[in-house]
Amino acid sequence: MKTILSVENLIKKYKNFKAVDDLSFDVKKGEILGLLGPNGSGKSTTINCILSLLKFESGKITIFGCEMRPDAYDIKKDIGVVFQEVAVFEELNVIDNIDYFCGLYIKDKEYRKKCIDDAIKLVGLEDFKKFYPKQLSGGLLRRLNIACGIAHKPKLVFLDEPTVAVDPQSRNNILDGIKKLRDNGATIIYTTHYMEEVEILCDRVIIIDKGKIIASGTGDELKELSKIEEKVTVEIDSLDEKILEEIKQFKNVDEATYNNGILFITYKKGKNNLSSLIDYLKKVDVHYDKIYSERPTLNDVFLYLTGKELRD
Amino acid sequence: MFLHNLKYSLKTLFKNKMLIFWTYAFPLILGTFFYLAFSNIENSEKLDIIDIAIVDNEEFNNSIALKESFRNLSGENEQEQLFNIKYVDLAEAKTLLENDEIAGYLLVEDSPKVIVKTSGINETILKYVTEEIIQNEDVLTNIIEEKLNSTVIDGSIEEFIQNVREDAISMLDTSSLQIRDITSKKLSYTMIEFYTLIAMTALYGGIIGMTAINQNLANMSNNGKRIAVSPTNRIKIIFSSLLSSFIVQIIGLFILFMYTVFALKVDYGNNFPMIILLSLTGSLAGLSLGLAVGTIFKINENLKTGIIIAFTMLGSFLSGMMGITMKYIIDTNAPIVNKLNPVNMITDGFYSLYYYTTYNRFYFNIISLLIFSLIMIILSVLALRRQKYDSI
Repeated sequence: MKTILSVENLIKKYKNFKAVDDLSFDVKKGEILGLLGPNGSGKSTTINCILSLLKFESGKITIFGCEMRPDAYDIKKDIGVVFQEVAVFEELNVIDNIDYFCGLYIKDKEYRKKCIDDAIKLVGLEDFKKFYPKQLSGGLLRRLNIACGIAHKPKLVFLDEPTVAVDPQSRNNILDGIKKLRDNGATIIYTTHYMEEVEILCDRVIIIDKGKIIASGTGDELKELSKIEEKVTVEIDSLDEKILEEIKQFKNVDEATYNNGILFITYKKGKNNLSSLIDYLKKVDVHYDKIYSERPTLNDVFLYLTGKELRD
Repeated sequence: MFLHNLKYSLKTLFKNKMLIFWTYAFPLILGTFFYLAFSNIENSEKLDIIDIAIVDNEEFNNSIALKESFRNLSGENEQEQLFNIKYVDLAEAKTLLENDEIAGYLLVEDSPKVIVKTSGINETILKYVTEEIIQNEDVLTNIIEEKLNSTVIDGSIEEFIQNVREDAISMLDTSSLQIRDITSKKLSYTMIEFYTLIAMTALYGGIIGMTAINQNLANMSNNGKRIAVSPTNRIKIIFSSLLSSFIVQIIGLFILFMYTVFALKVDYGNNFPMIILLSLTGSLAGLSLGLAVGTIFKINENLKTGIIIAFTMLGSFLSGMMGITMKYIIDTNAPIVNKLNPVNMITDGFYSLYYYTTYNRFYFNIISLLIFSLIMIILSVLALRRQKYDSI
């Protein structure tokens, strides 16, 4: 598959602090690449370097096969960016905001009008066309922010944490819109610290911490990096210490803890664990309210690789 | 692209309430305040002729400019009389001042001095008028020296000696020097407030320019980041934003002019092409100040607005917005301050248009404003040359 973006050995320093540390990756045509990492891990800095907004110490950035520079207008015309911070004019209504930013890319007024209509439909702002930004809720404002960044139908889209602080309805709407963008042929680079979004959206994931890539691959590939394959949670009013110790000795159990009425068990391998546990709890006459099993998440992978939670 | 950005830049500027307040409403409010506060005072004192004394010594009689000018201002034409002058000796002048019979007296020794007891309006006028005459006397002396030099080179010194006195008096009479029309008919010490008001408004245009530029710079605003990643030529975008700022500012100045001329009956003189030239140049200075503040300082927009407002208000104060006395004090004691003060350049430009029959001083102010603008623009261009930033 054709490479749309290539980043080679990118280093960006703020004085002595390395914000991006020898980062290299490629993005293929039509894929959604997730850049996953906690706040301050270097995701946005990487994006700003790629977009030639920030100077960097060394490295090479190629987009559509050409070197990216601040005046590379032929490259820029096919790029769409949705920054983490909402970037709209308070004095312009929804339509005018989208028209202004779209007009920086498209001169033809008729075609621009069609693009604006498509963008409004994509993010679901049909009922708010004449609203001003301060009249919109946080979620709707985020949707406008996205519409302003993608109305010109770019081939490569950077979405930098577009769902921060939005309500679930808007989040779902935004995620649906991103899938539609991909379906329409766009290549997407999606940065977030919400692993659920990455799991839903991304074809491939790069996990960044302290400016370095600590893992990359598909969601499943990454989960295999984790030493656990299954997590079981049991809600129990009380649990004898002896029973907990016995559970810890079960086959495949990596760790078992009991805190505040929750028994939490992680398994190294994921076969017949839940049924064995249910049988045992019946045998020792322990009654539980709820019992459920989960696959490990990318958060578990991150925890395993770095020893800290993704949302720290 | 240029027109697209111009259209939306105008739209955002006109809808920015804070901006419109500072650049449109605030000057109108302040102008109305000046009108209400000062017009009655001036009307009640307008026809007063100021009693002064001049120490009638040899030095005074040798000073052609001082003698002729004060003679004209105490003149036969009653309508234009500004001073009622008593020519006395030093002891009597002191006594008259002590008894409050005069506002002050002029004593010419090594250099001319005005002695006053208090610092009221009449005293300020006497000081200011004397200062004007002294400044022009220097110009006169320079011209005479130049003439002397050229005559010496030509080898005809006797011709110079014969003609110099006649030439000097002729220059005074024909106003080929910048002799101010400081007769009571023209003299209005509240006019300066309105001139500084126009100057302040022109400089407040800097807020408009700064706001527009801020929206275009990636290191200053989120919108700037979005514009920076678009395939647009940055110079085009910045230039069209500056043009929109200039248009908004000129409209604001036009409204203020109309309001002060028709509602507040302010007289700016009759030389409209020069008034327009000064307004445009003043606006350019304001705009370039805003451009410089917008591009050089990496602080938030409110702080930048604060810097421009503070700079403009201080400049207005020093150039006489709160009273002509301050302008006199600065012009006398620290002339460099007002030479560098763009508000004073505009104020003084209006002032010279109104009072002087020649344009030397007016053009000096225009050139000073252009130099100020050029410096600001050069500083801004140096800051704008960065296309990538160390941090944003």
